[in-house]
Amino acid sequence: MEFLNPTALFGLLALPLLLIPYLIRRKPQRLPFSSLLLFIEAGEAASPKPWGRLNLPLIFFLQLLLLALLIFALSEPVFSIRPTNIAIVLDNSASMQALEDGKARFALAKERASAIVGELGAGGRVDLYVTTPTLEKMHAVALSPAEATGIIAAQMPYDLAEPPADYDQLLSQLARQQKYQRVYLITDHPAQGQSALARVVTVGQARGNFAITGFDVQRASLANPRLAAQVEVANYSERDEKLKILLKSDGGELAQRDIAVASGKRATVSFDGFAEHPTYEAELANRDALALDNRRFAVAPSARQLRILGITPRPRELASLKTIPGVQIDIIEPGDYDKAERAGYALEIFHFATPAALPRGAALFILPPQSSSLVDLGAPVTNAIVSNWREPHTLTRYINFNLFRPSYARPLKPQTAGDVVVDSSAGPLVFASERQGVRYLTLGFDPFPYLGRDNLPMSVFTLNLLDWFFDGRGGKRQATGEAIFLGKVQSGDQVILPGGKSLAITPGAGFFGGAFYQGIYQVQHGAERELIARNLLDHGESDLRAAAPIAIGAGSQGGASASVLWSFWPYLLLALLALLLVEWFLSPPMAAMKFWRASFRAAQR
Amino acid sequence: MLPSPFTPQFLTQLEILRLRTRKEFLGAHTGSYSSPRRGTSLEFADYRRYTPGDDLRYLDWGIYARTDKLYVKLFREEVDLFAYVFIDASASMGYPSREAKYLPATSIGLALSYVVLANHDHVKLHLLQESGGAKATQFYRGRRRMNDCVNFATGATPGGPLQLAAALGDHLKKMRRPGKAILISDFLMPPSAYQPGLNLLRAFNLDIAAIQILSRQEVDPRFPNGSLALVDSETQQEIKYQWNADAHRDYQSKLAHHNAELRSFCHQSGIHYSLYVTDRDLSEFVFATLPAIGLFK
Repeated sequence: MEFLNPTALFGLLALPLLLIPYLIRRKPQRLPFSSLLLFIEAGEAASPKPWGRLNLPLIFFLQLLLLALLIFALSEPVFSIRPTNIAIVLDNSASMQALEDGKARFALAKERASAIVGELGAGGRVDLYVTTPTLEKMHAVALSPAEATGIIAAQMPYDLAEPPADYDQLLSQLARQQKYQRVYLITDHPAQGQSALARVVTVGQARGNFAITGFDVQRASLANPRLAAQVEVANYSERDEKLKILLKSDGGELAQRDIAVASGKRATVSFDGFAEHPTYEAELANRDALALDNRRFAVAPSARQLRILGITPRPRELASLKTIPGVQIDIIEPGDYDKAERAGYALEIFHFATPAALPRGAALFILPPQSSSLVDLGAPVTNAIVSNWREPHTLTRYINFNLFRPSYARPLKPQTAGDVVVDSSAGPLVFASERQGVRYLTLGFDPFPYLGRDNLPMSVFTLNLLDWFFDGRGGKRQATGEAIFLGKVQSGDQVILPGGKSLAITPGAGFFGGAFYQGIYQVQHGAERELIARNLLDHGESDLRAAAPIAIGAGSQGGASASVLWSFWPYLLLALLALLLVEWFLSPPMAAMKFWRASFRAAQR
Repeated sequence: MLPSPFTPQFLTQLEILRLRTRKEFLGAHTGSYSSPRRGTSLEFADYRRYTPGDDLRYLDWGIYARTDKLYVKLFREEVDLFAYVFIDASASMGYPSREAKYLPATSIGLALSYVVLANHDHVKLHLLQESGGAKATQFYRGRRRMNDCVNFATGATPGGPLQLAAALGDHLKKMRRPGKAILISDFLMPPSAYQPGLNLLRAFNLDIAAIQILSRQEVDPRFPNGSLALVDSETQQEIKYQWNADAHRDYQSKLAHHNAELRSFCHQSGIHYSLYVTDRDLSEFVFATLPAIGLFK
């Protein structure tokens, strides 16, 4: 016998509450009588205690049986006829690697799957599916129970998040299309309801967990050869915790930090000024349920080259930027802009020039001669005094604004939404805006030529704005499951997986789609080696506190259920009605009401 | 104004009756009850030898003719009766209400008092209550005092507990003349309580009649089934009682046993005993039941 709605059985725990009305001594009806001479032997002295000896009448047991039957009926008991053609869907997402009393959830899931397969007769047929990266069958033809057990044992979970899916619909659709008598989904998500066709088997319980949710390694600034890293950690537990984060490279520890993270919160730690290494690993030293998300990987950022297209009638001033390491600038006349090949430039600087339309890439506008869609220009001012600036902000860091006095400036009149980063008494001098992820910066003064130490405030500002644009290019974090772009593949090229396994790449293959595990992937093109980091980026897999329940019911009713299940809860309801009738005769409600009314009146008297 | 049972017809019927006594008392005046003293009634008592000065009218000439000796016939003295009506006025007599138990009890007492008054005998009403001292009337004589009796008896309100022997003792302290004692009570007390009381009356050489008054609710209680907190009307003691058909049967059995024990004691002690359940017809009780136990001549 099985229960389609086993949650209702928790109602049995509430049954003892039925005792309460019988335990509480009802205030007896107080009646005066001429003499108690003839009652004293049989009666007992009245007690002021609100409880008394438990005196359970027949009606109590009837009510108990009635409630038990009701709860039993609500749990929808069914007699199950053993199915012979089933499918087992294994949740192989990252959260299945979480430990339950020292055993991984996925190992438990495999045990449950093997047990289900073991219950099949010798003639039973099994199909095995996994949920991640997509719901797919693991084999071509239907398996015998023995074959299925072998395949189940060989399965491993991926370091991937499971794709969002309506399992109620998905499983019932699978069952109908493939004519399965029952489909089992073995997962770490709790189930809400069961159906004859689809059964959710839950392994694991809600647990606290800590996770590294972000790990970025960057150069400290454009001109700085040292690196900086930021590690974001999350506390998915019910208590505040002090976490230890280690920064490693090539097996050696570079640095470590301790940070206190409140329950349900995230925090970020920074590691500054460490030397360049090929790969980096951030590790959370605290032990928790899921080890996978306690490690994050990163590779060293590529050498910083900022390719700039300068559009200016004064090329000598812009050319001074070439003295900045990592900056490569090509300068054209404003009139040549439309004809110029602009692809490959990270930044376009319009120096006393205005394009006809806003460029598609990042752009810096310096004293544009005409009004643009971004700003209008005000009247010129000399030696403008900065009155206000945004802080902290990449553009304003390290600048002493007491010394920052552009000799010629034109205040800006913003025409669009954006940030005034630097303001003067005459009006804004620096206006930053962003459209569809592209950064635009307009200056009401000319910071060029770049004079280095000879004009420190303006030079620092120039370096800041280049950093700002450099940051703005953004480096998209790459998650497990995303394809690795291979470029031009030649014979003998190979991909080395995080576990060390090498896979030859077929010439002509544009990308590698098997990056299902977290770690460093190596793509070898002949003698060249490219390192790529892949991390589990789905925070939902790390939060083991409350997995989203899988509701089963509406989509998977009917179908093959009748052939494998016999519901008898309607008969229980009939029995319940019969009991109600018996109770009615034993204790008519009207009589009970009369009695209570009389008691109430007596109490009032 | 006489209470409702005392219609002219009822009073007329009462006037026919005379209380019967099984003892001879020394009366105050000439009446219709035998006295242990010799007197001038028509009832022959004895002979004695003639002494000079005796009334020659009482010489028995027949004995003189046979024996040649003079004997004088002696006759019993007939005196009036002193009747004492004791009415239990404790709280239990007010259950279920004063009208349902106490007033019927007073009606019986008044009916018997009227019988005494109509025969030009003396009657004195006593209220048996623990509080307020021994309440009693003076001796009344003659029908015209009936209203006084009614006012006294019906003017009282039953209340308080009662120790029968002690209460009777208070009243008997002031008693000087023996006579007929009629005790009207529910006798819902243990034998150890009523027996000393009745024995006390016997010790005062009274001819006793005990009339037990019970209401229908006491004979056949109709409580709702279930748990009850019964409160004693006199002591205010409260007991918890599970009332059901079995309990009802048990109660009636105990009441029957209690009444039988009372009746047996009265029989053994030479006391007239009768039970009156207040929903019965008073006339039928007075004119049929009481004569049957020998209370009336």
